[in-house]
Amino acid sequence: MSLFDVAFYVLAFITVGSAIVVVSSRNIIYSAFALLFTFFGVAGLYVLLNADFIAVTQVLIYVGGILVLIIFGVMLTTKVFDVPVKTETLHVGPAIVVTGAIMGTLFGVILKTKWFDILNVQWDGTTKKIGERLMTDFLLPFEVASVVLLVALLGAVIIARRERVKS
Amino acid sequence: MEERFIIELTQSLKNFLPEVSLTVTLSLVILLDLIFGRRFKNIGAFVSLAGLVVTLFFTIKQYGGSYQIFRGMFVVDPYSTFFKFVFLLSAFVIVIFSLQSYELRETSARRRIGEYYFFILSLTLGAFLMAGSVNLIMMYLSLELVSISSYILAGYIKESERSSEASMKYVIYGALSSGLMIYGISLVYGLTGELNIYAINASFLSSGYSPIVLMISLVLILAGFGYKISAVPFHYWTPDVYEGAPITVTAFLSVSSKAAGFAMLVRFLKASFIDRTITLGIEGAWAVIQGLPLTEIVAVLSALTMTVGNIIAIWQNNLKRMLAYSSIAHAGYILMGVVVMQNLGISAMLIYFLAYLFMNLGAFYCVMLVAEKTGSEDIEVYKGLGYRAPFLSIVFTIFLVSLTGIPPTFGFIGKLYLFSALINAKVIWLAVVGVLNSVVSLYYYIRVVRNMFLGDPESGKEPINFSPAHIVVMLILVIPTLLFGVYFTPIVNFAQISVAMFGLR
Amino acid sequence: MIPLSWYLFLSLILFTIGVLGVLIRRNAIVIFMCIELMLNSVNLALVGFSSYIGNEIGQMLVFFVLVVAAAEVSVGLAIIIAIFRNRLTVNIDEINLLKW
Repeated sequence: MSLFDVAFYVLAFITVGSAIVVVSSRNIIYSAFALLFTFFGVAGLYVLLNADFIAVTQVLIYVGGILVLIIFGVMLTTKVFDVPVKTETLHVGPAIVVTGAIMGTLFGVILKTKWFDILNVQWDGTTKKIGERLMTDFLLPFEVASVVLLVALLGAVIIARRERVKS
Repeated sequence: MEERFIIELTQSLKNFLPEVSLTVTLSLVILLDLIFGRRFKNIGAFVSLAGLVVTLFFTIKQYGGSYQIFRGMFVVDPYSTFFKFVFLLSAFVIVIFSLQSYELRETSARRRIGEYYFFILSLTLGAFLMAGSVNLIMMYLSLELVSISSYILAGYIKESERSSEASMKYVIYGALSSGLMIYGISLVYGLTGELNIYAINASFLSSGYSPIVLMISLVLILAGFGYKISAVPFHYWTPDVYEGAPITVTAFLSVSSKAAGFAMLVRFLKASFIDRTITLGIEGAWAVIQGLPLTEIVAVLSALTMTVGNIIAIWQNNLKRMLAYSSIAHAGYILMGVVVMQNLGISAMLIYFLAYLFMNLGAFYCVMLVAEKTGSEDIEVYKGLGYRAPFLSIVFTIFLVSLTGIPPTFGFIGKLYLFSALINAKVIWLAVVGVLNSVVSLYYYIRVVRNMFLGDPESGKEPINFSPAHIVVMLILVIPTLLFGVYFTPIVNFAQISVAMFGLR
Repeated sequence: MIPLSWYLFLSLILFTIGVLGVLIRRNAIVIFMCIELMLNSVNLALVGFSSYIGNEIGQMLVFFVLVVAAAEVSVGLAIIIAIFRNRLTVNIDEINLLKW
């Protein structure tokens, strides 16, 4: 077992373990912090897969942006000091059956299919490649993404803003 | 190298003018509303209308061409241009509705009215992009642009708890189904290494594929499409969102967002999963790649969608909710056109969309006017309406008759072509299900009509009057519904030449 | 050497945990966290495919999924905050003015 393999197992364990905590924890703050470990674990896996740019983006956007946003959401919608921050579950049985069925099928499919299975490509940094692609082949989605962000930005402000009530 | 790229880019931009003009309009709406919004309340609406007219001009100029732009990210072809007309028409009508809407005038939404038109336009832009995308990245992004705009619009009246609740359910279902869809997309990418739908198809045909993985990823991707067109296993959000959202938004979602979903679905299926090296005997028929039960999947989806939609609609007493279930049922009818897997079915689908545009927007407009005058969307307030507001009742009856598919209305022509395409392709069982469903739908549409004309007339309530502007809008929607029911040849010809997609037979 | 299918299994497990969470949890914010888990699992699968196939298109898609995830979560949280102002609850089964 090489160092690489050990790293994979450790990261996989962190990712899955913390994901289970996210879903099962009864305390929403614990869920949010467990999510942090999932994000870092996934970022580590990206590094193992030679995706340096995506790994950095993952840390910047997910950990630095989305997770902070979620924690703000938690803080704004729960009176942390008044009420115990408990969250419960509903209809567990059917949900497990349904997802179990889907997962079983997909598991079999992944096992049976012959995917590309040799990591024979030599990557020397993906950032340059991705940058060039973004400015040439993927120019249109890049621009559309900016419109998506503009819409989301305006929408979030419009919806979350407190109305001035003139009485 | 760089110079060539710049030439390529300007070429692409020239063929991208409708979208560019929409983007410019939506930026102008927000800016002008910020500067002049206090003095001229409706500046957003008028800027939007002007922008839509300009966009219509560019779209008409574009019609007939067939080319791909932005390095195979986007295509311009008669098929997408046809859908762009549908989106433009519906956006135009909705902006006019919104100018008259009491919900937007009398709630806190009036302070955010400029942004409201911004989101109407961004949804339209997303729909435009959905109609022309040929790359899964673009498809996903434009689908999300439409979704995010509609989440915001659905929750636009913040003090209405129904509205924000609708918006929240919409976000959760939307995020779940787009998550399923992107998982399916990742499997397709894993199989082929490509995201361009033509390249995906070429890879399937040249290097082989395993049908089982393909089927799983297709089903996952259909979850995303099914949510946009509200096909049955993914329809849960529809009634709640349609009931909770402002009526103008409901009407808009029921036409534009659904049409965009269909436009993308058909292009995706036809470009990715059809083997064009095989020619079938029939003109314009598609051969599905081997081992993929595509026809069966879509047929079951269609039968389920219309049956569930129609049967639940029977029990509804809130007209908005009833129209929501009816719109689910209509998605089922339109899917019949896809089941055929022939160009004939697609042209029938296009005809149906034009009919659906007029009759559905009209029906929602009538519900909106009645809700404004009586303060309720419940079927009870329609009792005796035929005597209090005869003109509106007659117009509403025409829309409902057209939705049922009875001659001499446009809705009948749409259904006629759908059913004849089905019978032509010998999918008789689905045609039978469709006819039975139309009979069921007759029951709940006619219930409203019966309430209007046979409800107690002696209640002695004063008549309801409408302003000339209201009557003009009703006429604009009702005249095509009747006219194209009789004089339908130009529409049919227009639809038949509009099935041409870029690079596909 | 880790074969591709291991990454795919890992991604599948994460995806299942995410879907399960969306279905069983009733706190809207936790539901959003689970949706983020789902998107992360998709990204993992995409990056895995991209590395083993040897083209960077998959990583481009990941980039756009990140953008969309950020947009979606910001709009979703804004809606949750708006509802919380009205109702003082974020549990989706107490938000039941409309029938489910």
